[in-house]
Amino acid sequence: MQTSQIIQAENLVKVYNGTVRAVDGVSFHVNRGEIFGFLGPNGAGKTTTVSMLSASLRPTSGKAVIDGLEVSKDPDGVKRRIGVIFQESTADGDLTGRENIEVAAGCYGMLRSEGRKRSEALLEQMQISEASERLAKTYSGGMRRRLELAVGLVHDPKILFLDEPTLGLDPQGRNGFWGFVQKLRKDEGVTVFVTTHYLDEADTMCDRLAIIDHGKIVATGSPSELKDRLGGDIVTIKTAPGAPDVTRVLQSLIGVHTVQKQDDTYRIKCANGEPFVPVAVEACTKAGAAVMGVTVKRPSLDEVFLEFTGREFREEEGMDATARAVMVQRVQDRFGGRR
Amino acid sequence: MLRELGSLTRREFLKLGRNPQAIFTALLLPLLYLLLFGQGFNINPAEFAPSYFTAAQKLALIHLYFRGAPSYYSYFAPGMVGFVAVTATLFIGANVIFDKLFGIFKRVRGTPAPTAAVFGSRLIAGSAQPIALSFFVLGLAILFAHIPGLTGLTVTASVGIVGGAEIVVSILLLALMFATLFLTMGILIENPQMYFAAVNLLNLPVLLTSDALYPWGSMPAWLKNVSQYNPVSLTVNVLRETLFGSSMYPYTPAIYLLGLFAWAAVLIGIALVLVRRALRPLD
Repeated sequence: MQTSQIIQAENLVKVYNGTVRAVDGVSFHVNRGEIFGFLGPNGAGKTTTVSMLSASLRPTSGKAVIDGLEVSKDPDGVKRRIGVIFQESTADGDLTGRENIEVAAGCYGMLRSEGRKRSEALLEQMQISEASERLAKTYSGGMRRRLELAVGLVHDPKILFLDEPTLGLDPQGRNGFWGFVQKLRKDEGVTVFVTTHYLDEADTMCDRLAIIDHGKIVATGSPSELKDRLGGDIVTIKTAPGAPDVTRVLQSLIGVHTVQKQDDTYRIKCANGEPFVPVAVEACTKAGAAVMGVTVKRPSLDEVFLEFTGREFREEEGMDATARAVMVQRVQDRFGGRR
Repeated sequence: MLRELGSLTRREFLKLGRNPQAIFTALLLPLLYLLLFGQGFNINPAEFAPSYFTAAQKLALIHLYFRGAPSYYSYFAPGMVGFVAVTATLFIGANVIFDKLFGIFKRVRGTPAPTAAVFGSRLIAGSAQPIALSFFVLGLAILFAHIPGLTGLTVTASVGIVGGAEIVVSILLLALMFATLFLTMGILIENPQMYFAAVNLLNLPVLLTSDALYPWGSMPAWLKNVSQYNPVSLTVNVLRETLFGSSMYPYTPAIYLLGLFAWAAVLIGIALVLVRRALRPLD
């Protein structure tokens, strides 16, 4: 019987060299057909967790179950049920797009004729048919990503693991890539497990998220649930220069959690921003502080991240990974894929 | 297993075919040795023989110096075959390291393709080139003997089917043995610099303790003793003994082949244990 949970991680632990606990008792589940985001700074344990779930790395302890199969007992069975798109570009630059897919089909034991049919369909689906006879090293970043997606889908997997899939892509390439992923989920019911540095992507594309830090899961839930846990919205009110201080006035209003003042600007954390605005403006005006501007902001995942990990989701971490991806790409282009 | 092996082998050959510069470079080295080194170094010990030596005595001296070969070039050409069978396998391991760096190896390991298919496909493609190159060297050296102005390999015995088969098997064994060795090193080692350092550490002593290039008559006794156990020497001995019908070898080609089989069994056995351990699922 199929359960609704297609991925189950139970107290997964990975210790390297007997001392480094890269993953420290991670438990979560992913429901069938959902897009699940796995967030965390570099070194938090994301890739190690993905490696354990995708049958590439043996856990020190704990259990991972993929579509009813225990990973450590049937790694090959698991590999047949999953497709993995790695962070770095793994397309063979010296092979054409079609050959890349056909070779991958052979790795799953498919006949050459089956592989040919499947590659035809996938090239069409990923909209790279016209470039199918070109060497992969001549593809743009976005096309390469789509080719890798096609390679990952060659055996019709139930789950796709995407490790930083849009790293190094321009906004158009990112949107295009996510369009294909969304369509896959909608049309074929594929479950997607994604790690990403782009919190805006996680916010808009993922049904649920887990945040991992120092090898431990610190929060799970849908993006809006996680944001709600912060206690509401952030309202910013700018008063006229030289206006009296209204911090106490604002603090006394119903639903206000905190008020921070900097110069003539007040940053107010409150339960529900929109109905709060007219009340706050009236209170400020009555107190003699003319309001010059107001903004209401739902908390972003950046703030969620800050709340649960105690630090900001540093942009430079994403930059490191991007730089690495770009470097690998350049080397591959320079050496024609490898040799 | 066969489908996975077929598919991955196809990949290796496709990539090889798309790198003509790699094929050109591989051909260049033996070509330079045959055209320059062999021609220029074609020493003749008879020239230094006392004047009272008869023609027959001079020929006997040449045979003694080159173990039955009619000239240094004829002696050296089979040595080059062994030399090429080893040196042309070097890149088999380097390719694995580059594939590991570029994530291609990880992607293949992420599929259920068996370890034997992953290893076997690279071994087939990686040893095909040195094997082809070895026969190319042998053929070219024989051809040179028929080109005016060039020295070449002169075959002085009639090589029958058995002799031909012994030559083929000895070249196959030598290339496979070293391809397995270098492939295993490529799987175990993570960075290219370390790999090439390790390969040189292994490659040069193996080649330089063989009798592939040295004239037998000028080798010191201790080196002659060491070289008779060297797998490159074993292959070269099979070729020289068969091509020149020489009686100056203590053993028959079949015995040298047995020695090669023993070397191959030991090296391939060790390599497979290490590879199985390194490529265990989930590690």
